Amino acid sequence: MNILNNYFDGEYLEFNKDNYSIKLKIEKIPEGYIIRGKVKGKLGKIDIFDDFADEDLFINNWQSWSPTKKIKVLNYKYNIPDDWKKTAKYSAHPMPEYLENNIISDYFIAKKNKVYGFLTSKIAHPFFEVKDNKIIACLEYFEKNADEYIDIEPLIILENNEMEKLLEIYADYVKFENNPKFSKWNPVGWSSWYHYYEELTWQDTLKNLELSKEYNYEVFQLDDSWQKDIGDWIPKDSFPGFDIIANKIKEYGYIPGLWLAPFSVSEISEVFLKHKDWLVKDENGEPKVAYINWRKNIYALDTTHPEAQEHLKNIFLNMRNNGIHYFKTDFLFAGAIPGKRYVEVTPIEAYNIGMKIIREAIGEDFILGCGAPILPSIGYVDGMRISADTAPFYKPNDLDFVYPNAYYALRNVITRYFMNGKWWWNDPDCLILRTEDTELNDKIIEMYSYVSGLLNNMILQSDDLSKTIKKDVYFNSLKLRGGIPHVKGLMNDNYSFEIEAFNTNIGNVKMHVDLEKINFKLEYDEDYPQLNKNTVLREEDNRLFHYYEERDNNA
Amino acid sequence: MLERRFNPITGEWVMISSSRQKRPNLPKDSCPICPGVLELPGEYDLVSFENRFPALKKDAPNVENNSNVLIKDKSQGICEVVVYTEKHNSELSYMPIYQIEKLINMWADRTKELSSYEFIKYVFIFENKGKEVGATLPHPHGQLYAFPFLPPRIQLKIESLEKWYSEKNSCAICDIVKEEKEQNERIVYETENIIALVPFYARYPYEVHVYPKRHVETIYELSNKEKKEFAEVLRVITNKYNGLFNMPFPYMMMFFQKPFNINKTTHFFHFHVEFISPMRGPNLIKWVASVESGTWAFINPIEPEQAAKQLRDVEVKLDEI
Ligand SMILES: [Zn+2]
Ligand SMILES: [Zn+2]
Repeated sequence: MNILNNYFDGEYLEFNKDNYSIKLKIEKIPEGYIIRGKVKGKLGKIDIFDDFADEDLFINNWQSWSPTKKIKVLNYKYNIPDDWKKTAKYSAHPMPEYLENNIISDYFIAKKNKVYGFLTSKIAHPFFEVKDNKIIACLEYFEKNADEYIDIEPLIILENNEMEKLLEIYADYVKFENNPKFSKWNPVGWSSWYHYYEELTWQDTLKNLELSKEYNYEVFQLDDSWQKDIGDWIPKDSFPGFDIIANKIKEYGYIPGLWLAPFSVSEISEVFLKHKDWLVKDENGEPKVAYINWRKNIYALDTTHPEAQEHLKNIFLNMRNNGIHYFKTDFLFAGAIPGKRYVEVTPIEAYNIGMKIIREAIGEDFILGCGAPILPSIGYVDGMRISADTAPFYKPNDLDFVYPNAYYALRNVITRYFMNGKWWWNDPDCLILRTEDTELNDKIIEMYSYVSGLLNNMILQSDDLSKTIKKDVYFNSLKLRGGIPHVKGLMNDNYSFEIEAFNTNIGNVKMHVDLEKINFKLEYDEDYPQLNKNTVLREEDNRLFHYYEERDNNA
Repeated sequence: MLERRFNPITGEWVMISSSRQKRPNLPKDSCPICPGVLELPGEYDLVSFENRFPALKKDAPNVENNSNVLIKDKSQGICEVVVYTEKHNSELSYMPIYQIEKLINMWADRTKELSSYEFIKYVFIFENKGKEVGATLPHPHGQLYAFPFLPPRIQLKIESLEKWYSEKNSCAICDIVKEEKEQNERIVYETENIIALVPFYARYPYEVHVYPKRHVETIYELSNKEKKEFAEVLRVITNKYNGLFNMPFPYMMMFFQKPFNINKTTHFFHFHVEFISPMRGPNLIKWVASVESGTWAFINPIEPEQAAKQLRDVEVKLDEI
């Protein structure tokens, strides 16, 4: 095997560069190899492996909203719109300039029968660069000084199988390496965002709670709207306190959920005005703008600053102690922007520190990650958005970027299917099931919902429930969950895929789906005896008895 | 006492389960799993319940290790009795196929549920039938053990399948199914999706293996159609067994599926069933004695091709219930 033109056959491959020393070691696994190693010195971008590229590659960009897709290497360019570069460049990448001028794939990359992937992102940002017919595996350490050897992020190389299968195996190895403990509960519920956006009122909340009774939700989540400001995570005057919000939702039997952007701080928030020292700084020591949104400059909380850490912890403790037990944590990439921090760490380390604080504060409550770097979030979140925002429109000809668009959102729901249930529960973003106030037609509504169900993803609906709703689609998508799905066709040119799921709630189901032509076909397995289970505890000797009997479908 | 002990000579864990609660007094000939007798108060269809005298318990007592040589650990796991039907005078070999289909779905659900416990590494489903293999209760039932460790033969299967995969990049059982179909010498019964055969490498005279033709790692990945055919195959094999020497045929039926929660890939594991029986002829027992028990090297007195032919020739009527 060749590593950077060094033929390698022994235990360790050791080499010294100007600024650093590195030792690499190869481990044989049944499906290929894992390269582990150690590095020390002044660490910038380090190349650790290369191999030949194909004309067609399957690439992935770094966070929740970014695309994962097949590309043709020739003439490929990641199109970052100019306005985006001004307002939100770090949402596209921790090294946005680098992304603009190179073909890169973050965390993993694949060709027809080979997958290369990093197993962790604890210190460095791992990515692949495609250059001169080569795939180069790189680690970006953001000028970290390591006096002693530190472990590199391990790299896995899987080969000789169909790519989709290899991606599933890659997901397994990432799981073993990170050993994430996430909730066994794969949520079903309601979210306010895709109908009310920032306009949600407490009256709307009460109205929808009352109308929600027929849906059997498990969680009821208010999105961006309830808070005083970005960074000031207390209810604004027109909303009641956390305890009343939580109790009202609990009255209907749901877990109360709230949206927040814990690493984001707006320029007019109290936190910004009073605690500029809590924020990530630029080269001149001034608070650094992480992105622009809500027509405001948004800064990033420095998760290494002790007071900011205390503040972050208290935000969640306060919500949790008042009865909120589901947290949609958004714009998480803000925690990983490069900049000056209280403690000298890489942006990735800072992100990990921040996520750890949140996880410790909320214990076993549910965290949904959103706008979040993929690999560093493993182990901290229970659910993860794996697509760009959905929308009440579907536009195949629009720019494939992090803009809301049901078309590209659904594409990513499929291309990132292999992460589900292994790293977290995939959140395909909300189902929009109303037939008014939407450009989505019935076919799109069904296609989006059934793909999400069949891939056993989280199901959250986002409608004003007083509108006309395709309720049967909601219940049908729930019936399609519970199975073990496999996808074929990730390398197809035209976004047509085949999804096969074994042992769903209604048996085996196959779905052919064509996103471009807006077409799908569901094929069901033969009928079979469905069982009801009734578990009884025998008190006298503490034994469980599980009674099974055929389900009476007419009852 | 309920604990497990480690044998450093073989790497085996041995379950010590000596505590015997006082066995309830039952009238002679009464069956503890018939409705209303002892375990199951009323009518039922199918039921799986925790064993009264388990070798593994969910809330097993903690065990303190006092030695670095004589190592022990708590026997945390689950042992269940799986009752196939409330009809006392039935058995797999003539149960309605529809009932067996339900049974398969129960096995699948038990597997799914038990494997969700982090401490469970293996779910082993089995049935001992006949007094020759130690089963005293005629009422149709089997058992399952959810182990907190990988038993040695399971470990061996995983290693062998992994080695095969590493070398050939394919699943050994998928390869075997292909080859057996081509040679067509040892197939006993076959449906579109399931194949039953006396394996080329049979250890016991009338050993029969059942393999799904599609690569599935667990019982719960079988499709509805596959489950239907699987039910039919189980029914046919057990029925052929009874017809072989025209006597109730004792057997052990054992299900092998992938391990759980072990932080290692095992996608090359192919779900399968092994039937073995101590019978080598009418009223003739093949004893598993020193060579087999001590070395795990088996001597089979009957050619698998011959055994397969004998079993193939036993006629089975599927509609007679
Ligand atoms: Zn009985
Ligand atoms: Zn196989």
